[in-house]
Amino acid sequence: MSKIVHQIFIKVYGVKICIETNKKAFLTELKNEISRIFPVKFEFINAQITIHKFYFEVSEDEKYKMFKNEESIGQMSKSEALVVFESDLRLTVAEFAVSKVFLHAGVVAWKGEAIVMPANSFKGKTSLVAQLVKKGALYYSDEYAVLNKDGFVEPFPKPLSLRGIVNEYAQVDYSVESLGGRKGKKKLPVGMILLMEFSPNLTTKKWKPKLLSPGQGVMEILPHTISIRNDAKLALNVLNKIASRAIIAKSKRGEAKEFVDLLINFFENNVKLN
Amino acid sequence: MRQNPTARKNGIVMQEMPDEVLIYDLDTNKAHCLNETSALVWKACDGSNTVGDISRLCGDQMGAKVPEELVWLAIDQLSKNNLLEEKMVLPVNGQSRRDVIKKIGLASVIALPLVASLTAPSSAMAAATCVGRACTTDAACGTACECNTTNSMCQ
Repeated sequence: MSKIVHQIFIKVYGVKICIETNKKAFLTELKNEISRIFPVKFEFINAQITIHKFYFEVSEDEKYKMFKNEESIGQMSKSEALVVFESDLRLTVAEFAVSKVFLHAGVVAWKGEAIVMPANSFKGKTSLVAQLVKKGALYYSDEYAVLNKDGFVEPFPKPLSLRGIVNEYAQVDYSVESLGGRKGKKKLPVGMILLMEFSPNLTTKKWKPKLLSPGQGVMEILPHTISIRNDAKLALNVLNKIASRAIIAKSKRGEAKEFVDLLINFFENNVKLN
Repeated sequence: MRQNPTARKNGIVMQEMPDEVLIYDLDTNKAHCLNETSALVWKACDGSNTVGDISRLCGDQMGAKVPEELVWLAIDQLSKNNLLEEKMVLPVNGQSRRDVIKKIGLASVIALPLVASLTAPSSAMAAATCVGRACTTDAACGTACECNTTNSMCQ
């Protein structure tokens, strides 16, 4: 007997993805999640053969077995399934996006130039982005810098996922508006690439980051480049464009709230603003 | 007979920057950043130039004398990083590599050749958005993390 499958197909940044489940009601929930997962233009498309597929097999006792491209991810609760679905769906798009390069990075805009902050998780990206937004920077993303083939950064304004509210680890989503900020809408050139790590006991009175050459900068950004293995040619070409134009600064920083004014001051004094 | 060094052309992606060259090895997923000196040597490795020729060519471009030992140091690093068609070994003549570097470093105004390398991460490792997520099983952490049962968080 063949299994009953309910499915939808989406297209985001040129990536076509099939999402399937054996439980119709759960497909509706997944479908409702899409617009939150992708705060950008996406479309539901007609059924077709796709390379990328997510499948959830829901058992009668409400266990969710997840498969990605026929490979089992494992069995989990519904809430866990939705979280894994969100991050893996975004990651799939980030890796295979057509003519775009995704960096794992926070992004804001200040006076028409983007500040891109590549970093691993738990390095304080979102808190710094949130503080910059409160100071008047336009919000682009706290997770992915989306770069087009000309090296311009495009908005990916998902809700900001802040930690330290419930506990050290759990993330709570906030809209940028609830922080008193605004979303950026235009693609922008990258004025500064900031490579930094939060150091809790560091008090920063003056900020003198190490400035990197374009080549050194690309080597630092590369570990945060999602599609580097999938399309190294495009990724390197785009990274070269942004690194050759932007100031690339590397340093540790203290509390985001104290550091943000130093950063803005440095940015205004060192980046050629239009 | 020793062959002249030949820069690898296949299986790589190359990006020229103002004073550096970036090379991505598609076979190993390794990225290399060549500083100005090693980049000039690499570009001159066309299979027909001898080490002496490369030394003169680089000297002309940099406006300073480039000793052959310095070219050899660059070739040695390029070879170790699999950026030449065929492996070439630094002829040390009883000197350690450190001795050679010290000798060149003191005598030359040209920056020592440098090849910085790193292995590119998989997409999941590059994103690692799973870190800190609540979990009860490894499955809940997706493909890049595992569940730390002590605090029930992905790491």
